[in-house]
Amino acid sequence: MKTEEELLQFVTRRHFFSRCKVGVGGIALASLMGENTLSAAGMRQPDFPPRIKNIIYLFMAGGPSQFELFDYKPKLQEYNGKAAPESLMKGKRFAFMDTFSKAPPKLLGTRREFKQHGKSGLYFSDLLPHIATCADDIAMISGVNTDNFNHGPAKCFVNTGSTRFGRPSIGAWVTYGVGSESKDLPGFVVLQSGPRGPRGGAALWGSGFLPTGYQGVPFRSGGDPILDLSSPLGVTDNTQKQSLEAIRDLNLSKLAETGDPEISTRINAYEMAYRMQTSGPELIDFGKESRKTLQSYGAEPGKSSFANNCLLARRLVERGVRFVQLYHTDWDHHADLGAPLDNVCREIDRPTAALIKDLKERNLLDQTLVVWGGEFGRTPMGETRDDTTKIGRNHHIDAYTFLMAGGGVKPGQMVGGTDELGFSSVDPIHVHDIQATLLHQLGLDHTKLTFKFQGRNFRLTDVGGKVIDKLLA
Amino acid sequence: MSRKLALVFVACTGLYAQPNVLPILKQNCQACHNQRSKTSGLALDTKEDIMTGGNRGPSVKPGLPAESLLIQAVEQSGDLKMPPGSKLKPEQIAELRQWVEQGAKWPEMTTAKPRRGADHWAFQRPKRPTPPEVKNASWVRNPIDNFILARLERENVKPSPETDRYTLLRRVSLDLTGLPPTPQEIQEFLADRSPGAYEKVVDRLLASDHYGERWGRHWLDVARYADSDGYTIDAARPIWKYRDWVINALNRDLPFNQFVIDQIAGDLEPNPTTDQLIATGFHRNTPSNYEGGIDFEQYRVEAVADRVATTGAAFLGLTIGCARCHDHKFDPISQREFYQLFAFLNNTDEISSEAERYDFNRPFLELPTPEETARLEAYRAQRVMLSHELATYVKTLAAKPVGPNDPPRFKDPGLQERVANLRALTKREPKITTTMIMRELPKPRETYIHLGGDFLRRGAPVTSGVPSVLSSKPVTGNRLELAKWLVDPDNPLTARVTVNRMWQFYFGKGIVETENDFGLLGAKPTHPELLDWLATEFMARGWSQKAMHKLIVTSTAYRQSSRHRKDLDEIDPDNHLIAHQSRMRLEAEILRDTALVSSNLLTPVVGGPSVYPPIPEGAMAVTQVKREWPVAKNKDRYRRGLYTFFYRSAPYPGMGLFDAPDATTACTRRVRSNSPLQALTILNDETYIEFGRALAKRIETEAGKTDAERLNYAFLVTLGRKPQPAELERLTRFLVLQRDEFRTDTTSASLLVMKPQVFDSSPVDALEEQAVIDPKEIPELAAWTAVSRVLFNLDDFMTRE
Repeated sequence: MKTEEELLQFVTRRHFFSRCKVGVGGIALASLMGENTLSAAGMRQPDFPPRIKNIIYLFMAGGPSQFELFDYKPKLQEYNGKAAPESLMKGKRFAFMDTFSKAPPKLLGTRREFKQHGKSGLYFSDLLPHIATCADDIAMISGVNTDNFNHGPAKCFVNTGSTRFGRPSIGAWVTYGVGSESKDLPGFVVLQSGPRGPRGGAALWGSGFLPTGYQGVPFRSGGDPILDLSSPLGVTDNTQKQSLEAIRDLNLSKLAETGDPEISTRINAYEMAYRMQTSGPELIDFGKESRKTLQSYGAEPGKSSFANNCLLARRLVERGVRFVQLYHTDWDHHADLGAPLDNVCREIDRPTAALIKDLKERNLLDQTLVVWGGEFGRTPMGETRDDTTKIGRNHHIDAYTFLMAGGGVKPGQMVGGTDELGFSSVDPIHVHDIQATLLHQLGLDHTKLTFKFQGRNFRLTDVGGKVIDKLLA
Repeated sequence: MSRKLALVFVACTGLYAQPNVLPILKQNCQACHNQRSKTSGLALDTKEDIMTGGNRGPSVKPGLPAESLLIQAVEQSGDLKMPPGSKLKPEQIAELRQWVEQGAKWPEMTTAKPRRGADHWAFQRPKRPTPPEVKNASWVRNPIDNFILARLERENVKPSPETDRYTLLRRVSLDLTGLPPTPQEIQEFLADRSPGAYEKVVDRLLASDHYGERWGRHWLDVARYADSDGYTIDAARPIWKYRDWVINALNRDLPFNQFVIDQIAGDLEPNPTTDQLIATGFHRNTPSNYEGGIDFEQYRVEAVADRVATTGAAFLGLTIGCARCHDHKFDPISQREFYQLFAFLNNTDEISSEAERYDFNRPFLELPTPEETARLEAYRAQRVMLSHELATYVKTLAAKPVGPNDPPRFKDPGLQERVANLRALTKREPKITTTMIMRELPKPRETYIHLGGDFLRRGAPVTSGVPSVLSSKPVTGNRLELAKWLVDPDNPLTARVTVNRMWQFYFGKGIVETENDFGLLGAKPTHPELLDWLATEFMARGWSQKAMHKLIVTSTAYRQSSRHRKDLDEIDPDNHLIAHQSRMRLEAEILRDTALVSSNLLTPVVGGPSVYPPIPEGAMAVTQVKREWPVAKNKDRYRRGLYTFFYRSAPYPGMGLFDAPDATTACTRRVRSNSPLQALTILNDETYIEFGRALAKRIETEAGKTDAERLNYAFLVTLGRKPQPAELERLTRFLVLQRDEFRTDTTSASLLVMKPQVFDSSPVDALEEQAVIDPKEIPELAAWTAVSRVLFNLDDFMTRE
C-alpha cells in the first residue's frame, strides 16, 4: 500500500496533468464537475480568444411589453383604436386566439411617455427612468423574433434553443464550453425573485443531455444560498473538519486498495464541498458593501428581492462565477398595462441600472455581458379581459426587444428595428442569433459547441443562429 | 447507378412519346431527388417513386398536368418552385407537360436498389452462434463465459479472479433488488459453503418483490415516468398505477413480449384485463401542456411525436425521432416512415382543442377502492336529492304569480339557498383513484407528413407502417399490429436492444456501448456473437427476464473482482474486454434505499401512491405553481426512493443531483456524475442526519459493547463487509475525538440527536419512541451519529463494487 502522502500526491498530480491542457479555468471546473462527467463531456478549448469572462442574464419572465418600455411607435399611437390591418394578421397565430377571434383586435398606442436619452438618443419610456440614465452604456436589440407563443415552451426556447423540454440550457452549454473560474462556487448560478417561480422551473437551467454537473444551481433567497451548504445543527466546526478528514483518509485507503480513479475525484469533490461551505457565508454577507452601494441597488440585507439578487450577481462574477441568471417574474400583462406594469418596472429599474453602473465603476463591465430580456414580446394590438375598463396586450413573437450592456457590445446603439406599427422586424434577429452572439463573446463558435446525443450532434442554436456582428464593438 | 439508369433509358426510349423526359429529370431533378438522398421524401428514379411522391404527395397525376406537383413545380406557378434558383427551358417544361397529359407512361422495369444501410449488422435477424471453445474450460460456468473468455484468450488478457464473498453478495443484492444485504443475510451466505450457495441467493433475490422495484425503476426511466404533467403548469397527475403495474409485471416475470404488447396496445387486445389497460399508461407518460392560450392540437402532436421517438429508443434502439423533420441523416429511415409510425399512435382519444379544456389528460381508467366507491355513491345520492329538491322548488316558484313590486325570481332567497347548497356539494365531489390510459378513437385520425416537422404544414397522407429496412413484410393496421411487430421474432432489434440494456446495468456499459443507437453511426458491438446468443436465448426462454438475469449474474464473468487493472491501462482502459468487473456509483434512489436499510428504517411496502419524504424548505418554490408537499408523518417517510413524488419541473433535490432523469424523454442510460453538490447533500442534508441518528441507535442496540465490536457492526450494515485493521484504527481515532467533542459541547450533542424538527415542523412521534434519551447518553449517541455520517459519505458506501 502506498503511503498516504504518496497517494495525495498521486491525486494532485493526476488531477493537474489531466487538466492542464484546458488552463486554470478548466482545473477549477474539473474539480467542480468531477472526473466522470468531464471525461464524458471532453472539455473543450475556446474556439477563439474570448471577449468576456462572465454573463449576467436578467430574465424578465412573462414577456415584457416592448411598446410600453422601448419601442417608440408614434404611428401606432396615431392609429390607436383602429382594427389591425388584415395584411398583418393574415396567417399569423397568437396565444389566446379565442380572445382575438371574438372581436377583431384593435391597435393600441401606448399611453406612456417616451423620451430620447443620452448622447445616443435611445428611446426609453418613463417607466424606466434609471435604466434610461445608462442609455450610452446600452445596446438595444429591437425586432427580435422567436418560435413559440406559449410561456413554458417559449422560455424553454430562449434558454435551450428548443421548445421541447429536456435540452441543455445556455448556462450549461457555457460552463460545458469554457468551464468556470471559481474554485469554490458553481459555474452557473440561478437567482429568483418576483411573486412566483418561472413557468417551466428547473428545466430552464437544466443540463439536458449534458452531464448533470453543468446544470444551474439555484440559490435560495432565505437561509443557505445553496441547498445543504451549512453543516447541520449540532455538527460543530470541529466535527465537520474531523469528519471530512476521516472521510478523506478512508477514501484514500480505498483508492490504494482498488486503484479506481473515480475515488480520487470523489476526494476532490469533498474538498471543494468544504471550500464552498466556508466561502458561502462570506458571499451572501452584504456587510462589507457600502451604504451607497446598497442604496443604489435598493438592496436590503436579508430580504428577498431583485435588487438583492443584482448585488449578489455582481459579487458572484467578482468571484469568478461564469454565468449568473436572474429570473424576475410577473411580466404577463394581458389585462392591464397600468399599475401592475408600474410595479414590476419599479422592482427592476433601479437595480438593473445600479448593476450596470456598479460593474462599470469596478472595471468589470468590459468582461461582463449584462443581458436583459424575456421569452417574447407583446402585440401592437390591445387585449381586454374581464375588466373592460382596462387594456393589456397579448403574446407576440415577431418583434420584441432585448437590452445588452458591457461585454464587448457597442453601446449607445439600436440594432435591428421594427416596422412603423412595431408588428414585424425590418431587420430580423432571431433568438438563436442572440444565443450565438452570447457564445461568441465567450470565445465559442456556436456551430462547434456540440454534444452527441442519441446519434446526433446537438447544439444550442439547433440549425440556426448568426452572430449579430453589428452589435459588437 | 447512373450507368444502370442509362441502360434503362436506352432500352426504353422507344416507348415514350417524349424521349427526353428521363434526361430532363436526370439532369435537373435527380441530383436531389434520388433513392439515396430523397430530398423532401421524393425520389424520381422509378415510376413507383414518382407516383408515391414525396412529403407533399404524388408528383404526377397521369392525364392531369395542372394538378401534378411536378408540373406545378417546374412551371413555378405555385409556392413550390423547382429547380431551386433556376428554371427549366420552356420546351423542356412543355415536354414534361405533354408526357403527363398522355398518361405519364413509364417502362415496366424497376431500377429499385436495396436501401443504403440495409446490410447494416443490426438490421439482420440475430443468428444463433455456437459458443466458442476456450482453453481454460474450468473458468466457464455458462455460455456467456465462453464468449468472454474466448475473446480474452485471443487478446492474451487474463480475466480477474472472483471477488470476495462480501463484495459478491453486496453486488448481486444491489443489482437485483437495489437493497444491500442485511447482517443476517451476510452471515447466512458466509456460513453456506455448499456449491449452490450463490445460486440460492440469486433465487432468493429474484423471488423478492424488491426485484420488481429495482428493475421496474430501470424501465420507468425508459418510460419517462413522472408524477406530474410537465411543461408550464406541471400539476400532479394520476399514473402511479402504471408504475405499480410495471413492478408487478416484473415480479411475476411477465414474458417481455407480452410486457411490450400490453404497454403499447393492451387496450386493443381482445377483452383486455384491467391490468392490460393500466399498462397502456406507458405512452401516457408524455408531458402535457395546458397553459392559457395554447393550441391543444400542437401539444397533442408533440406527444405523439414523442411516442414515436420513445418507441424507437425503448425497443428498437434507434434515433427515429431524427426523421421527424426530414429523412434520417444516417439511418435508412425516411420522414415518410416516421409518419407511418406516427399513424399507428395518432388515434388516441386525447384533448385536441380549447373547447375540451375541462378534460385534459383524458382518457382515464377509474379504479375506485371499495371505500371510494361507497363515498362516491353517497355523494351521488345526495346530489340527486338536492337537484330534485331544487327542481321541485323551481316548479312551485314558477307557479306563483309575480307582483310588480316583488324581487325578480332568481333573487328568491329560497332558490338562492338551494342553488348554493348544490354548488357547494358539487365542489366536494369525492376523488377516486384513476390512472391515465390509451383509448382508441372510433374513427382513426388521418395522418399526414408534417413538412419540416411543422404540424400546420400538411404533406402527403400516409397510412400506418414500419420502416421497410426493419421488416421483411409490410406491417400496417392499429397499435396492436405495431406492438406485435416490435416483439415478432422477425424484428431484428427488440431482443438485442433489451438484453444489451440488461447487460449495461451489470457491467457498466452495453455490448453495444451506444445503447440507444444501434444505427449506422452507433458503436459496434464488442462481442457481437455474445449479443446475438443472448438475444436468441432470451426469445428461446420465452422472453423471461428473470431467466436472463440469472444467467448473467451466475456467470464467472459477472463474479470477477472490480479491482482496477494497471496492466490494462494501455490495452483496454475502458474495459471493453470485461477482464474485470466495474465499480459504479449507486443511482439516486438506490443511495437513499441503501442508507434506509443500513439504518434499519426502510418501510418495505411495495406500491401505492407516491410519497412525500421530508424536503428542504423552499425546494418546491422554483416554479410558477406553489406545490403541495405534505411531508409524510407516518412510515411513508422511509419508503424507497422510487416512490418519492416526482415533479418534472421541481424534482426532489436529492434526485437530480445524483443523475435521476428529468422524465422529458426516454432515458436509456443514466450518467454517473461525481460532484461537490452531491457531497454537500450526503454530508449536510437533514435526511441523512436523520438516517445517521437511527443508525447510531441501531448500532447501540444491536452490536456488542466495545467500540471495536460496534465499529465492526457499523461497517457490516453500511458497507456489507469487515473493516481492514487500518480502517478500524482510523475510525476509532475519529470516534474518540468526537466523544471528547460532544462531552465538552453537550449543547451540540443534544442538537445532533434531537428529533428532526428543523426542516419540518411535524415531529415524527409515530415513528420515534417518546422515551426521553438519558442526558448522560447524549454525547455517546452524538459521537456515533457522527461515525454513521462518515460511513454514509465513504466512496465505498455509495458504490457498487
